[in-house]
Amino acid sequence: MAQLITKGIDPPMDGMDPALKPRLRRRSVFEYASWVVCILVTLGILASVITNPNFQWDVVAKYFTHESILRGLVLTIVLTVVSMGLGTLLGLILAIMRSSTIKPIAAMSGLYITFFRGTPVLVQLIFWFNIAALYPNLSIAGTSIDVNALITPLTAAVIGLTLNEAAYMAEIIRGGFSSVGKGQIEAADSLGMSAGMKMRKVIIPQAMPSIIPATGNQLIGMFKETSLVSVLGVAELLQSAQLIYARTCETIPLLIVASLWYLVMTLLLSYPQSRLEARYSRSTSRLPRKAKTVVQSQEGGR
Amino acid sequence: MNSDGTVYGRGIKKSFGSKTVLQNIDLDIASGEICCIIGPSGSGKSTLLRCINGLETVDFGVLKVNGEHFGYYETDKAFHALSRKRLAEQRTKVGMVFQQFNLFPNMTAQDNIMAGPVLVKGANKKQAAQRAQELLASVGLSGFGDHYPAQLSGGQQQRVAIARSLAMDPQIMLFDEPTSALDPEKVGEVLAVMKDLAQKGMTMLVVTHEMGFAREVADSLLFMDEGSIVERGDAREVLANPKERRTQCFLEKVL
Repeated sequence: MAQLITKGIDPPMDGMDPALKPRLRRRSVFEYASWVVCILVTLGILASVITNPNFQWDVVAKYFTHESILRGLVLTIVLTVVSMGLGTLLGLILAIMRSSTIKPIAAMSGLYITFFRGTPVLVQLIFWFNIAALYPNLSIAGTSIDVNALITPLTAAVIGLTLNEAAYMAEIIRGGFSSVGKGQIEAADSLGMSAGMKMRKVIIPQAMPSIIPATGNQLIGMFKETSLVSVLGVAELLQSAQLIYARTCETIPLLIVASLWYLVMTLLLSYPQSRLEARYSRSTSRLPRKAKTVVQSQEGGR
Repeated sequence: MNSDGTVYGRGIKKSFGSKTVLQNIDLDIASGEICCIIGPSGSGKSTLLRCINGLETVDFGVLKVNGEHFGYYETDKAFHALSRKRLAEQRTKVGMVFQQFNLFPNMTAQDNIMAGPVLVKGANKKQAAQRAQELLASVGLSGFGDHYPAQLSGGQQQRVAIARSLAMDPQIMLFDEPTSALDPEKVGEVLAVMKDLAQKGMTMLVVTHEMGFAREVADSLLFMDEGSIVERGDAREVLANPKERRTQCFLEKVL
């Protein structure tokens, strides 16, 4: 017995204090194997990308900052910002309607959301572009408007993207509303706040932490989604690339140019997005921005 | 006759779906009366309180708060619901304090207290801020105006919540288990504020499990079980000599 115990605490062989020895993680064979496979595959792809002359990297470099590509990029950004802004606004209205106690109003909003989320954006865009086939003339307050002239590719793009985005934003905002506790609404009610006041001062400020990160994701998604409007002939980033390769037949290099720009912009947006998410996900100690310290229990007066 | 600060009820009934939560409730609360409502959970105490503030509506019966039919106006054949605006007006005269405090976490303590007067009554901001300071002082929290709810302990939050209700100058204060969510050592500070308020002549309806508070402060006591008032009377009398068997059983367990 005594022998066994002394065996357990043998003096260290290399003289190192066992209390200080690092504890190493156990690595499985698969871990080593996956490293090898991963490196081999990456090297293979890299070698092929570099050595294959069909990638035409010189053409990529030449067009990367080409004037019409940059103009397309600007238009893509503008489309994203405008559609996202209008979509969020409309989404907010839809979300408020959706949570109305008046049934028909809630139902109308529900119908809208179902319809616009249930059909592909591409189809919606083409539909808005051809809306003149349904309503050739719109008359508002006596003045007749030629719909064909009104619906340019750009307006169709903005309308299509906005209306679609509004449906998604409505659901996000409504989700945010329902994250606000019932007690908060009761407290506002018991103070006699009107519905609008309650929304502005109590519900929306508290719903923000769950709405903002999700909106960031939507913004990144929207940025890529704008490439769909190229089918309408709007000269955004993808269409600008397409216009060039239609002329020069350098299809792949120009698609790479467009992809690289999408990637760069997405990465640029991801950083603030991840910061936003981190900031708002600390739900356990959700302090307003101005509050810096948490005083857990300070003996107050009395 | 001045009927401010009174609650009058006759034959109040309320059900959620097929479940009856209040049946034949009669109430007579005089101005300045402190009434404690006790009873097991699910007995309808909170629902009764919430009806008096309009957080729930009564199905049948007469409910007059401050001498007015609450939330409804009477015609020959029916009670018709008041407009939201009129209901909001009636509600401002009845303060409510919740078990979970329900302070607005996006506002400081002072802004919470000012929210009612400024946003609802359109009071002057400067005067409302002044008043908020006074109210904070009266609940023993002067200097805590710029603290957010998350920076306050439960007891402090509840005291701010009481101040927030008082800022509307209500004639009646309703307390829905105001100390049930607190650490035992913080219960006293909230009860002290409530005693203070009672001494100032506020009409108070308090749903509570604090029998000590009921004995010390309350004028009248209602014991509720399964949606009805089983026993009522002078608070000390009922607590000392309950007449009904159900009340005796309950008090034996909680005292």
